[in-house]
Amino acid sequence: MTDFLLVLASGITAGSSYALMGLAMVIIYKTSGVVNFAQGEMGLISAYITFMMLDYYGFGYLATFFWAFVFALFLGALMEFAILRRAKDPSVLGLMIITIGLEMILLGLVSWKFGADPKDMPFPISPFESIELVENIYISVLEVLTIGVATAVMLILFLFFRFSKLGVAMKAVQQNPMAAKLMGISTNRVLMITWSISSFVGALAALLIAPANMGPFMMWDPLLKGFAAAVMGGMTSLGGAVVGAYIVGIIENFFGTFISIEFKSVVAFSIIVIMLCVKPSGLFGRHYVKKV
Amino acid sequence: MKKLVLNCLFSITLMLGLSFSAYAGDGITDKEIHIGSWGPQTGPAAPWGTISRGSDAYFKMINKKGGINGRQIVFHHFDDGYNPARTKAGVKQLQEGETPMFAFVGGVGTSPGLAVVDYLMDAKVPWIGPATASEHWVNPPKKYLFTNYAPYYKEAMVLTKYAVETMKKKRIAVVYQNDDYGKGGLKGVRMQLEKNGMKPVLELPMEVKDTDMKPYIFKLKKADVDAVVLWISVGQAVRTIGTAKAMQLSPQFFGTSTVSDFPLMFKISKGLWKGVITASFNEPPESTSPLMMEYKEAFKQFASKDERWGTFFIAGFMFAEPLVEALKRIPHDELTRERLVLELEGLKNFQGIGAVTSYKKFDVKDPRSRQGTNAVYLTECLDNGANKKLTDWIELD
Repeated sequence: MTDFLLVLASGITAGSSYALMGLAMVIIYKTSGVVNFAQGEMGLISAYITFMMLDYYGFGYLATFFWAFVFALFLGALMEFAILRRAKDPSVLGLMIITIGLEMILLGLVSWKFGADPKDMPFPISPFESIELVENIYISVLEVLTIGVATAVMLILFLFFRFSKLGVAMKAVQQNPMAAKLMGISTNRVLMITWSISSFVGALAALLIAPANMGPFMMWDPLLKGFAAAVMGGMTSLGGAVVGAYIVGIIENFFGTFISIEFKSVVAFSIIVIMLCVKPSGLFGRHYVKKV
Repeated sequence: MKKLVLNCLFSITLMLGLSFSAYAGDGITDKEIHIGSWGPQTGPAAPWGTISRGSDAYFKMINKKGGINGRQIVFHHFDDGYNPARTKAGVKQLQEGETPMFAFVGGVGTSPGLAVVDYLMDAKVPWIGPATASEHWVNPPKKYLFTNYAPYYKEAMVLTKYAVETMKKKRIAVVYQNDDYGKGGLKGVRMQLEKNGMKPVLELPMEVKDTDMKPYIFKLKKADVDAVVLWISVGQAVRTIGTAKAMQLSPQFFGTSTVSDFPLMFKISKGLWKGVITASFNEPPESTSPLMMEYKEAFKQFASKDERWGTFFIAGFMFAEPLVEALKRIPHDELTRERLVLELEGLKNFQGIGAVTSYKKFDVKDPRSRQGTNAVYLTECLDNGANKKLTDWIELD
């Protein structure tokens, strides 16, 4: 029983960082129908800005995190305003290709400025200190924080999309941009805010990943797993992305521990393939039918 | 008139002959020797890319001292991102361009190396000091390939022997990268344990991009291991030790020479690297030997200001040392690739900053004709990434 609980706890903690990345991807997909492959690197650059302020300039944690999140919000807005909005006759596919290009540019910028060596990200909590949940089941303090942050972000976003005017406007833009425009919604502004929020959530994920593993490629795995989680959850469902992330994390851990550690890494991608074949709309996804 | 025509023909022939001897299409001119290399300057393996920058500083140092027998070394190195397809394209571009390479030196990574080894050997272009300890280079040996890095399985044998015989460890596990590099380490652990009448209690393959180490630590904990040999990447090694600490597992960790850059490892592991024992293939950065002091001066003069004086930067010097030594022994007018091979074969007990290196006349049945050394020494990480030498150079059969 202890083994079962231990692996379950490991799966949940692994799933939390996937959940944040999944949420960040879903937010943009919900409003624009675009899968943002630059999501990981947007978080990455925010994490490196944080590292630079803490390590190079000696700022305090509070001021650094505040400015890092301001930067993340600005970065998201800038991406949408300066690049995606400028795309001529954009198709969803074209926009996705643009995000892949952005991903490479941001990664190149980080590698150029900070080098390829792994870094030691200062953080108020040690990623390697742990607490004992129950007998012989340990979980690191950073992972507890990650679970808390993922849950809080999910709840806040759920309430935001459900009850705020802006949240409803965002959903309207995704379902029918023309009708939303006719109703007086500034679709451009809504999209810009969406990218800002998504960049903010991505930065949160990156800041929680960086203390244990900081390097230019630290966001690849979480991005892919977050994407798998979002697909599993249905791409348009915030709750679905979180549930999907925890399922991916738990399955991965059970598979790796009890079946085959060699094939642990491919489980997430097998899930994507199976889900797309069996239920393309995901566990909680809803696809709106447009009349033509 | 006939005499004039003959004189003209003779002059043209002489000019052509001279120009061919000055530039015979084999990477040398009267004043230059062109040497090629590759290494990842971008991508997950980029920390090892510092090796080719070390070689660059080494050649600049040599050039500043007047070059080798009247020739300057022109060093061409490119970023392959540890991507074998890019390595192959880059090497072909260098070799089939206007100025082919006289020889290649260093070159990070087993897979990138494997992508070009046949091409270089078919073209009879010498490749000296691959910056990877794969067995492929000498099994079977290749006439134009000389290595001075002990194979991974030998490193693993030395580490395992130390764990069993000196530290009296009884339950040894190995966590290895699921590729040629990692399997070299696995092979060595198995071979040495078999000699000691033991077996690994656990063999755990790890994929390169895996970041969640908990299932590995869970299994190690269940197996009640008292020593773990890690044959994985820098980032994964740090995460493994960190996750072990968080899950209250504290065996003795051992690591390959690829994670022997203690100042870096200590820093990024937030001090957890202290106590880890690794193999090492060259003098530590703190060494004050005259040769290391000379190299440190070259580092100050020629490395970029962001460069760090670390194990892998120094390795760039070490991998190129046999090439430079052999070139020095060849008079200016006698330099050819075949002569280089001959001089390399003549290197006996050569001592640079690595292990003592010797080659022999080419023998397809004798890997030692091209494997210059099998020796490593063991070192332990202390506070702040300082280094404690645990053994002298050890070479196992």
